[in-house]
This record gives sequence, structure tokens and C-alpha cells, in this order.
Amino acid sequence: MTATRALRLTAQTLVAVGMVALWAAELVGAGAVILVIAIIVVGGWWHERARPAPVVDRVLTVAVAAFALFDVLYLAERVFDGLVRLLILLVLLRFLTARRPRDIRDAGLLTFFMLVASAAVSLGVGFSFVLVAFLVAGTGLLVLAHEVTEAERASPTTGGLGVGRGVVALSLGGAAATLVVTLALFFVIPRIGESTLALGSPTRRQVVGFSDRVELGMIGELELDATVAMRVRVDEESLAADVINGLRWRGVALDHFDGRAWTAGRRRRVPVGRGPSGALEIGGTPSPGRTVSQEFFLEPIGTDALFAAPRAVRLTLRGGFAVVDDMGAISVPVPVARLQYTVESVVAGKFPERLGAVVLRRHLQLPPLGPRIPALAREVTAGTRGPTAAAIALTSYLQRQYRYTLDLRRTTDLEPLEEFLFVRRSGNCEYFASALAVMLRSLGIPARVVTGFQLGEWNPYGEYFLVRMADAHAWVEAFIEGAGWITLDPSPRGSGAARSSWSGASLYLDALRLRWHRYIVSWSRQDQMRAAASLRQAAVGWTPWRRPGRDWEVRWALPLAAVVAGGSAWLLWRSRVPRVAVRSAPVPEFYRRALRVLARRGLRPRQDETAREFAGRVGATAPTDAVGFARVTAAYEAVRFGATTLGLDERAAVDACVGALVRRRRRLSTA
Amino acid sequence: MSRRLLGLLRARRPRRTIYPTREGWWCLLAAVGLGFTAINSGNNLLYLLESMLLGLVIVSGVLSEQSLRRLQLSALAPDEIYAGRPAVLGVRILNAKRRIPARWIVLEIVETGRVITLPWVGPGAERMVTWEHTFPARGRRSLRGVRLRTRFPFGLFIKSGPVQLQDEVLVFPATEPLGAERPGVAPGEDATPIRRRGRGDDLHNLREYRDGDDPRLIHWRVSAKTGTTMVRELQAEAATDVRIVLRGTGARDSVTLERGLSRAASLAVHFLRAGVAVSLRGPAVNVVRGRGREQARRILTALALYTPPIGSAAPGRTESDDAPARELAVELD
Repeated sequence: MTATRALRLTAQTLVAVGMVALWAAELVGAGAVILVIAIIVVGGWWHERARPAPVVDRVLTVAVAAFALFDVLYLAERVFDGLVRLLILLVLLRFLTARRPRDIRDAGLLTFFMLVASAAVSLGVGFSFVLVAFLVAGTGLLVLAHEVTEAERASPTTGGLGVGRGVVALSLGGAAATLVVTLALFFVIPRIGESTLALGSPTRRQVVGFSDRVELGMIGELELDATVAMRVRVDEESLAADVINGLRWRGVALDHFDGRAWTAGRRRRVPVGRGPSGALEIGGTPSPGRTVSQEFFLEPIGTDALFAAPRAVRLTLRGGFAVVDDMGAISVPVPVARLQYTVESVVAGKFPERLGAVVLRRHLQLPPLGPRIPALAREVTAGTRGPTAAAIALTSYLQRQYRYTLDLRRTTDLEPLEEFLFVRRSGNCEYFASALAVMLRSLGIPARVVTGFQLGEWNPYGEYFLVRMADAHAWVEAFIEGAGWITLDPSPRGSGAARSSWSGASLYLDALRLRWHRYIVSWSRQDQMRAAASLRQAAVGWTPWRRPGRDWEVRWALPLAAVVAGGSAWLLWRSRVPRVAVRSAPVPEFYRRALRVLARRGLRPRQDETAREFAGRVGATAPTDAVGFARVTAAYEAVRFGATTLGLDERAAVDACVGALVRRRRRLSTA
Repeated sequence: MSRRLLGLLRARRPRRTIYPTREGWWCLLAAVGLGFTAINSGNNLLYLLESMLLGLVIVSGVLSEQSLRRLQLSALAPDEIYAGRPAVLGVRILNAKRRIPARWIVLEIVETGRVITLPWVGPGAERMVTWEHTFPARGRRSLRGVRLRTRFPFGLFIKSGPVQLQDEVLVFPATEPLGAERPGVAPGEDATPIRRRGRGDDLHNLREYRDGDDPRLIHWRVSAKTGTTMVRELQAEAATDVRIVLRGTGARDSVTLERGLSRAASLAVHFLRAGVAVSLRGPAVNVVRGRGREQARRILTALALYTPPIGSAAPGRTESDDAPARELAVELD
């Protein structure tokens, strides 16, 4: 394959990679990708064969400019979309009107901006594959373009420069080296500022269930959705079974029920203040008790709620602030594409708080109810002592006597809760939570419904909990004097982990996604400072001579390491001393052949004779061969000393001259 | 010590000049724009692309340096360079690296602005590059050297080494073949030796021994044959001498001076090639009699370096002035 053809192929590959990047970012459809690839393949082939007049190129350019203007002004929903289409058209235009190798190279390099556009709106792990593919193809394109351009510059008549293994190795090696340097630079380039011009993707997904109003049955719609909602890392100490079991990721708390929907009533929302450490202090001084530290990677699910284990006391949120309401629900002012935050929660302990009269009234509010529900509550809790026992009895009753289902079809005209408790006797988590909250309130126990997520599935590859939309859940918090708000989950629904059908490969891929998100997409100044601090600590803390039981390191390992290092350095230094065998450029075959022919006629170059002098002597001895051999000599000098290669025409002419020498020798020997 | 260290560092990190090509400028411009956008947006994927661009620049620098490193140049120049006649100059390039080839090395000849591209010089391999150059005038002329540069590997930057092989060459006056326009000094005529006795090395005659003859000159074999003591008579060394005499100083007109020096050089070369001993005499210049290539070099060097003396100067006189020789006058004024 010639270098020019390889250059065209590499540029086509780059365009394809760029289009895939745009497709992965949902900036173009799959049809557009196929269409563009088809155009560059077929159009490039046509342009190469047909060689259309330059006027065709100009017409194409004008057409593209006019369309792009019209598109940006009138067609595109956003200017950004118009600019992306303009970029695609520019790449196509450059490719289809390419007349020189540098035009093809430029078309390929323009695709870099496709990656930029993709990076502006896409954060997925797929970008990493696109980036590596682009790096390999882009490096290859640059190397090939350089080879072709230099070859043209050196000898314009030389055609058909081939692609050797050296070029391929150089491209791959260059790409690998660039990737290593890229990663090193990425982690150390200082993040000197925060976003002032948001380029994140808009939130596309709007889910129900995590807003100020949740209608009965809403969350059930989510329970068939396997989309990943978030990933949660929990500190190692908290992974003990007694802490982690029963943990839920609390989102929105709702205190007002109208019989069909729960809403957050007249709650009070206040911005969370920053503590001395820079973290947002939610609950003031942490209460005594077991603390769980959680790191959340929240996907863009379209809610402003921040999820955390109950009783969050401290929040670290990069570059933003949060709002907390008087029911402990945390939220951000504007839902953004992705969020990464850490939360510390106190999950065990006693919290002797008191409710004010207003708050108490809000948490005892009841819609107009028939008499059967309070009666049922009294019946179930008959004989129990105290609110805690009553709450547990009601929870247990619902768990045992009712069935969990996602089939929520109405069969009567009764209120939804009455139908659930007395007719259908089955429902989803919201029905269970609502029934418990209403019955607790009917007994005078303050209660509220909380929506959020179950614990999720443990991913052993990434060591985190994978929480899907299907893990969306609703439960109850009841206020018990002396113990504070306790969590009650009356739903007999199984955990997400039990229902998982994800294969090991999927879990591994998801762990890769998390790493990508954690170490690439969310890499921050704090991470840099943390990494630098741990490096420094590791360097300072590495004092084996002070550690007991490590005498062998001091006595043997360190001197041995010093000797090995010194020896390696010496070998390296020694290897730099040239030990080269000087080789001259070889005599080209056509000149050797000409010399052999002349030698048979008794004409041999003397040792002190240059090629040109010998040519002069040949000319004087055999004038008929003077011109031909002079041309062969000139070509020999050019090839051997002029660092040039012969073009096809030149080579043919030289071969013809040598052939004439051969024929003349044959005639002479015959005569 | 510090000077030595500096020298070592300089040797390890040779001076380079780096200049972006058109594509390099675009790359840098894109890096600046992307860097600004990345900082402004805080988007880490843009940081990643920025790192990729910068990584490409760094890798390009490392690879081009590897290609240029340890290329040893040595100059090739002919022994004799004549004004107005093309001279073949050259450079021998040795890639002294053990494993890494030098790729797409461009040799820029500063003198002429000509560039020669070497696509590949393997590890340990050597290439010779030659070119023709015509020096217009005699005298000491400086060679402005050569410079290595490369766009390898991506064509984004031109990396150049320092100018090397700056040297000085001596350009002899232009020489022309002598023909009929030089009556009286045609080779066949004037090269005929003037045979007379002298104290040279060649045999002139044999004669009988006389008192006072040097006994070392006795030809013992002939004496034994003839029974008479015979001695060798030697031929005088100046028997074929040509003395080129420069008349005038050449201070009035440089054109006439150059023409005269060129004529003198042509005469000297002509007679020396014919085996004649030639000497040169003139104002502020004197080359004693001699033969062969070395004598040609002496005379041509004297003529190449000739500058008109201040004031009038008579031709210098030396011990060989009395030796018989044909005088050929060359007018410099």
C-alpha cells in the first residue's frame, strides 16, 4: 500500500471515529454516522477517479456555507447543534475536495474538534475508547502525512512511497507514548478554577418519585427500570453487616397526604453553611454514634435531591452549595448532569430531639379518612406498650399480611389507601409506606413518608453499591420520643441485590465506568492535593531503618539496591558510547552492472579515479558510449552521494543506458 | 569544576532551535483555546484532550531529539579550489547511535541555501552528501557551514541544530589553459632542458679525472672498464627553470591585478605540469625554485594571498636570482 493511500484510509478512519464520538454523545444519530462514512468512502473514491474541475469544489464550498448559515440561524434547536453540523460539513468538504496529501491530513485533523464537541456534552466511559482510537489513528495520520510531505519535498518525481513496518511501529509507539504522557499530564495539570461557563450536558432524564409531590404508584413505574441511578462507596469499617444491612439512601421526605399523593408541606429550607474544614455542616455537631462515610456518584436522573444515609451531618460537594429542609432532605439548587459528593451520616445512636407544635401538627396531618383505617390501626396495636412497640407491630402486620405487587389497577371507587388495605391487599412500596404513615398518625405518632433508594447491588470489582432506578423505594420515618426519627419499612419487597441478574462482565464494565467517572471525569483540585499529600506522606514515612524488625533492609537491601542502581547507570552510560561499524551507502545495482559490462571490455576504474573521471575515460575510449555512461554515472552520484532516489522515468532511462552498454558489448564480442 | 559540569551538560543537551510549522501553530493555537475552555468549564474531558495535545507536542520533541542526537558531521573539501571553477564540497554524516535510526534529516547548506533530505540513516550507518560550489574570487574564503534540521516525526515543529563545520578555505586564482596566445612559452618549446654543467643530481657527462675533482664523483665501474679514472659531470639544476616575475604592484586596478595573478597562476601550473622548475618573484612575494605539486601549491598559495604592497616595491631578490632561468613577466598594472 502506498503512503498516500494509507493516508487517505487513516483520515477516513479518523472521520469515522469522530462521528462515533458525536453519536456516543447523542449529538448525531446512527444514520448520520453511516451516511457520513459512506460519503467519505464513495465520495473520496469518486474524487480520486473523476478529478472534477476546481469549479465543482467552489460550488460545494458555497453550498456548504449557505446551508450552515441557514442551519445555525433557522434550523438548529441550539447553536451548538448547528455548529456540530457545520463541523461535519467542513470535514466532508475538505475530504471531498482534497487534491493534495495535506488536504487529506487537514480533513483528518479537523475531526479533533468532533471529539471536543463530544467531550463538552458526554461524560461516558465510551469516550475513553474513542479517545484511544483517535490517538492511534491521529498519530498514524501525522506520521504518514509527514512521510508523504517530506518525500515530495525531497524528490517531487518520486512516486509510490510505501508504508513500511517502521511507519506502523512509529505510529503505534508514538500513540502509546502520547497516551502515557497524556495521562501523566492530565493528573497533574492544575485545576485552577471552577466552572464559570457550564458546558455540561442538560439533564435529559426526568424521573418521577423524587420531587415535592409523589402520587401513589409513581415509584412503581421505576421498578422495572434497570438504568443505573448512582454508585455509592462506603468506608470499609461501615461495610460490617450490622451497619450496612437495612441501610437506605434517603432522598425526599414528604409530610402532607391528601389521600392520593404525598407532598412536602410548609417545610423550611435553609442553605447549608460551611464548617471550618470547608465541608457543608448539615446537622451541626455530629451526634455521638456510629458514623458512615459515603461517596456518591449520582447519574443525571433529573432530580435536585441528594441521596444519603439517614441523619446526614456533613456534606462535601465540589464547587457548589446545598439546601436542607427541616425534614433533613438535602437538595441542590439546580439539577446538573452528574454529581459527585461525599456524606457522613450517623446511623446508630440515640437522638433526643423534640418537635415543636407546628412541626408536630404537620406530621400528624391526615386526609379525610373513613373510620376503618384508624380502627385497623387500633386493632393491630392493641396490647402493645408505647409508640415504639405500636410502630413495630404495624410494620410487621403490613409486611406479613399484605403482598407486594406492581399491578396497581384500581377495582373499586374507594380511596386508594382503603382499597389497598381492605380490598386488594397488595400494592407497591408507596402503598405500604402510606398505609403505615397514616395508621401511625391515626394513633398520634408523628410520621412521614421518605422516598429514596434501597442499598443496591454490591459490585465486588469496584467495591461499591450499584443502585439502579429499579431500587427506588419509599418507606416511613416515625418520631419516637427519646429516640428521634426511626426508619420503618413495611414493604415486603426484596432487596435489589437479590433481584440482580447482572453478569460478572457487566459488573466489571460498570466498575470501569465508575473509575472513569471518579478518576477522569471528576478529577479535581482536591484530588490532586490529596494525591500529592499521600505521595509526600509515603515518601516521608518510608523510613525502614527506624522500623523494628527491618534490619535486613538496612544491612542488605539498601546497599544492594544502590549497587544495582549504580551498575544500571554505568551500563546505561556505557551503552551510549558509540560502538558502531561504519557502513557506507551501497553502490546501486545499475552502476555495478554497468561496471561489469565495461570490465568485460577492459575498462575498469582505477583506484585513484573518481566516477566522473572514469566516465571521461570511457567517453574518450568509446565515444559511442560517452553519453549513456555519463548519464549512468550522474544517476549513481545522485543516488549514492546525493541522498536521493530515482523517479520511475529516471530509473527507466538509466536502465535503457545500461541495456545499450550490454548490447554494444555483445555486438563487439560477436564481431 | 562548574565549567566542566556546564560543558558536560551542554554536550548532553545540545543547543536546539525549535520553530512550529504551519500545522504546529494550529496545534498550539488549538491547545491554548482548549486550555482556556477547559479551565473555564472545569470539564475534565476537555482537560484530557488538552493533555493529549500537549502530550503530542512533548512526544514530538522527544522523538525529533532522538533522531537528531549523535549525528556526527565531518567536512569534505578538495585540496585545491580555484576561483571561478566549481568545487565539490561535501559532508559525511555518521549516525553514531547504536539502535535508533535518524529519520528525515534535512541538511541545510548555509552557503547556498540548498537543502538535502536524508530519509533514513540507520544506526551506525554513514552517508556522504556532496554539492558543487563556485567561489568567485581568490583568497581566504569562509564556509558558512551546514545545519541539521528535522520535522520528524509529526511535521509539527522544525527542530534545528547549531550551524556546524564553519571553516575557511584557500581559493587559488583562476587558471586557464595556455595556448597559442602565449608565444614563446609553448610547452614543446620552452620545456626543452638547457643542458649545462652544474651541481644538480642528474648525469650530464663523464670525463677523465682532474686534480681537484671531488673523489665522490668518481664513476668506479666505468673507470674499471676503461682503465682510466673517470668522474661524473652533473647537470645544472636550473637548466629548465622558469621564473615568473610579477611587474607592478596591482594597486591601481583590481581587474588588471586579478587578470595578472590569474595569468601567473596559469603559467605556473602549465610549466609545473610539464615538469619544469618554476619560481615566482614579485613585489612582496618570492617563491624559490621548485617542481611538482608542492611547488604548485606554494606558488598558488602565494598568488591567492597576494595583496598589493603599500607604496612601490621592487621585486624581491634572493639567492637564486643569479641562477639561469627563463623569465616570464606578468604585468599587474
